[in-house]
Amino acid sequence: MARIIVVTSGKGGVGKTTSSASFATGLAMRGHKTAVIDFDVGLRNLDLIMGCERRVVYDLINVVSGEANLRQALIKDKHCENLFILPASQTRDKDALTEEGVERVLNELIHMDFEFIICDSPAGIEHGAIMALTFADEAIIVTNPEVSSVRDSDRILGIIQAKSRRALNGGEPVKEHLLVTRYSPKRVDAGEMLSYTDVQEILRIPLIGIIPESEEVLSASNQGNPAIHIKGSTVSMAYEDVVARFLGEELPLRFTDYEKPGLLKRIFGAK
Amino acid sequence: MQRKPIEIKISTVVAIAVILHDAQLSVLESALKELTAKSSDYYSEECAVIDVGNIDCANLEWPVLIDLFRANGFHPVAVRNAPENCEEQISALGLSIDLGSKNAAQLIESAAEPAPESGHAPVTAVLEQAPSATLIDAPTRGAMIIDTPVRGGQRIYARGTDLIITAVVNAGAEVIADGNIHIYAPLRGRALAGASGNTSARIFAMSLEAELVSIAGIYRTFENGYPKLAANTPLQIRLNGDKIDVFSIQSIN
Repeated sequence: MARIIVVTSGKGGVGKTTSSASFATGLAMRGHKTAVIDFDVGLRNLDLIMGCERRVVYDLINVVSGEANLRQALIKDKHCENLFILPASQTRDKDALTEEGVERVLNELIHMDFEFIICDSPAGIEHGAIMALTFADEAIIVTNPEVSSVRDSDRILGIIQAKSRRALNGGEPVKEHLLVTRYSPKRVDAGEMLSYTDVQEILRIPLIGIIPESEEVLSASNQGNPAIHIKGSTVSMAYEDVVARFLGEELPLRFTDYEKPGLLKRIFGAK
Repeated sequence: MQRKPIEIKISTVVAIAVILHDAQLSVLESALKELTAKSSDYYSEECAVIDVGNIDCANLEWPVLIDLFRANGFHPVAVRNAPENCEEQISALGLSIDLGSKNAAQLIESAAEPAPESGHAPVTAVLEQAPSATLIDAPTRGAMIIDTPVRGGQRIYARGTDLIITAVVNAGAEVIADGNIHIYAPLRGRALAGASGNTSARIFAMSLEAELVSIAGIYRTFENGYPKLAANTPLQIRLNGDKIDVFSIQSIN
């Protein structure tokens, strides 16, 4: 049975697209047939991060409005056999994204035997974000450890409770997962950043992972390479853990403790 | 998953209470005309419970009375406080006998606020008549219970009753009740108890991080920090004259 997962946050710039790309890639690397859809109509980014921007011919809106079929629009990932990208349109109006159209695209993907369908939500709580979460079975709430991001995540959780199909049909609610990104144990230790337990205390949903802050993410994104591909980095290991936990494995949290520099380092003022 | 063709659940239907103070139909008729400004869709088929507790029903022509309300846009569903010897007549008209206020008053003393003189008032457990369903006369003015976190942007209103929340009320959320509000978790948003004017309503919470609390329209914000309370104790918020007091529950006993 296919699972539709929305990656959302409310706030912008917290790492939704980075996380969607790495999470989808991680699932595909484990052999699951996965599609990742960019719902950010007008501001497409996912294709850049996935490094397939030059292969975009048709997009989600073309498929929704019947100008192209789904097979024409799906772009096969350059690294993974099982991963397909459905890019957003940069030129079209976001109102072209109709509920019936989105439902049809998702159903078609399910018929094509996709196991996981990842919906990369735009920021905000407007139409595009609502469309991304409407049909979700599960939600990954991407949150930075700071107050405004946490508050926006809280808001989007409320919207999922109110507007998702599952909520409206009165069935089993959307399963929620908390993903804390850009986490800096050092700044948490210094009291400059909320700890993941603080975040969880406010949002009260299960934690699926913590992605440490890393400069490598930016350069990987610029090269069109999802962060999970940066071999040996803390970020890629953290995303691999997220995928494993999502698939039911139990793993301890990593990269959450700050090791104080030794006495010598402190004396000589190293960072 | 297969759905059952019929599901039976207890449900609360909001209805307006029509309290009669005169048994003369002609007087009632002209009063109704005045209320509805002569437009018969003024009440747009709202469910109505007709309270005859204050009038003498001995010579009352029930069918005429009910038709009078129907003609003026009400949808009578029940009669409240009717004398026993009229019950048969009322049932014959397809209306329920509502014991609501009497029983509720016995069961929940604190919720027994005086019935409003007119206008919209909550009525609990007026079940709309369904031919095959058993009429469950649930007499309690049951509290509204919420088991999931109330999140920013969400608003919950317990009309005419208490509100019990077993999860967190986060910043940006608004919880409102005509009765008391109980929160078995931190209160971080806004809580407004006694929203229709009950000054003895209270708010209870496990910890106070609220943006605003209000009782019967009198509010308090916490711009300059929260009152110092014994650590890790639940607290209650009450109205004292025109100011709002916060107590640790432990410190009162």
